[in-house]
Amino acid sequence: MAVSFEYVAKETATNLWRNRMMALAAILTVAVSLSLVGTALLLRQAVNRQIGEWNNNVSLQIFMDASATTQQIANVRSTIGQTPQITHCSYLDHGQSYAQAKRLLASSPTAIEALTPATTPTVFRCQLRNPAEASTVSATFNSGVPGVYQATSPSQSIRVMQQVTNVLQIVLLVIAIVLLVSSLVLILNAIRMAIFARRREVGVMKLVGATNWFIRVPFMLEGLVQGLLGAIVAALIVLLSNFGVSYLIRHYKVSVLGSAVLPTHDIVVTELLVVLIGLVVGVAGSSVAVRRFLDV
Amino acid sequence: MIRFDNVTKSYKGLAPALEGISLEINKGEFVFLVGSSGSGKTTFLKLLLREAVPDSGSIWVAGRDIGELSHWRVPYLRRNLGCVFQDFRLLPNKTVTENVAFALEVIGRPRNVIRTQVSQVLELVGLGQKGDRMPHELSGGEQQRVAVARAFVNRPLVILADEPTGNLDPATSQGIMKLLDRINRTGTTVVMATHDVGIVDTMRRRVIELDRGKLVRDQARGVYGYGTDMTTSTRGVPAVAMAGQADLAMDLDPATGRVAAVRARRGQR
Repeated sequence: MAVSFEYVAKETATNLWRNRMMALAAILTVAVSLSLVGTALLLRQAVNRQIGEWNNNVSLQIFMDASATTQQIANVRSTIGQTPQITHCSYLDHGQSYAQAKRLLASSPTAIEALTPATTPTVFRCQLRNPAEASTVSATFNSGVPGVYQATSPSQSIRVMQQVTNVLQIVLLVIAIVLLVSSLVLILNAIRMAIFARRREVGVMKLVGATNWFIRVPFMLEGLVQGLLGAIVAALIVLLSNFGVSYLIRHYKVSVLGSAVLPTHDIVVTELLVVLIGLVVGVAGSSVAVRRFLDV
Repeated sequence: MIRFDNVTKSYKGLAPALEGISLEINKGEFVFLVGSSGSGKTTFLKLLLREAVPDSGSIWVAGRDIGELSHWRVPYLRRNLGCVFQDFRLLPNKTVTENVAFALEVIGRPRNVIRTQVSQVLELVGLGQKGDRMPHELSGGEQQRVAVARAFVNRPLVILADEPTGNLDPATSQGIMKLLDRINRTGTTVVMATHDVGIVDTMRRRVIELDRGKLVRDQARGVYGYGTDMTTSTRGVPAVAMAGQADLAMDLDPATGRVAAVRARRGQR
């Protein structure tokens, strides 16, 4: 089968131009839906990284009463030693704990004023073998161990955040899928109109014995180009918004979110995935159109 | 070249468009396909192009049973069959040269071959000077010449023409017929469906007549109508066939399509 590249390129370009409004609609829909897909993917990676970071630094914090006695602290320390789920603990005394509180509460001076080193509870910051066991472990320390004010695992607060981002991701993905389906239909329709606009040519081609693939390829390529262009626009949008978020995090030194700035490798992989989905949508839409409306 | 073996084709819920057709067309023949509208002429051509498949029977083109042809080989069959239609079917946004070249481009011929073959065939049809015109700038006869050029440019074994003179005045039709005759003399088989009595009667070539899907006459050097050979006035039954200029008439059995009786003709037309 001799399908000359020049012929196919010329035909595809002519088709796209003749059908430009339709093509534009399809391209923009692909762009919007794939931007959402890309955003959802990056959001998920950022959240997972950030949560992983928090989980690794501290899995469990055991706050002592400010008035806890040395004996009580020693008892807790030995209980920690006997808990197999805990791998390692560091103890912050009043002074260290006060310094940490000042750092974390830097944005609300009134709260700091209320604290003195003596009234700041001392803290055991522990790492767990498995962060998922945090709630069971914290429960044992919360069951009335003398001198313990409260044991908190960050995952309790993080879980809320994780759930929020999960819901957000699902919403984004659902919207993206709906938009992807509609962009597929738009591409299908664009190709259908292209086929209709060129029915004379197609009729003559069949008559003089052009092969089926020769007739089909320009139309399929048209769909592929539409998907690809939409994907490239989406990739740029995702890239720019990622830069924007990273810049804001760095510029305002939101160090808690430091890990939400994704490494280049992750971004490149996501962008490639976005382009791939765009190509698949384009090819799928045009294949269906060619099969349904181009009876060769 | 072309053989129909007891071919029957019917469309959904209708009487058969073709029924029990058996005939053979040899290489280099010029054949008129006549019959009233709805007699099955177009179905005959469609089956040859494999735009339709017979319900039963088989069709052979150039030694191949085209019913056995796999889907992807159909285009290669069509490269051996050039088509001309009543409505020309030219591409309005391409020049004459581009229209003819298109037929070769889409089957992947190299560009230098296209250039020489297109200019040759345009000379042949007498449009050597009008290659840069658009179809709408040409007369009907000239447009049909372009269509013939497009059908012939790839040197097909057979030219199929479906009422090629149907849109043309008699003088212009004469020109097209001369052209088809010239093409026929190069050894190309021509099968032409027509209603044009004058053309059939003056050309005196083989005439195949269909009536309501049945082969009612197959006559070498025939004329369009039944002329004075009609043995009865009942249309088609019994049908009459003439063997060339011989003073014989043959009755065809309408059921089998075979010769039922041969008798002397009642007079010359």
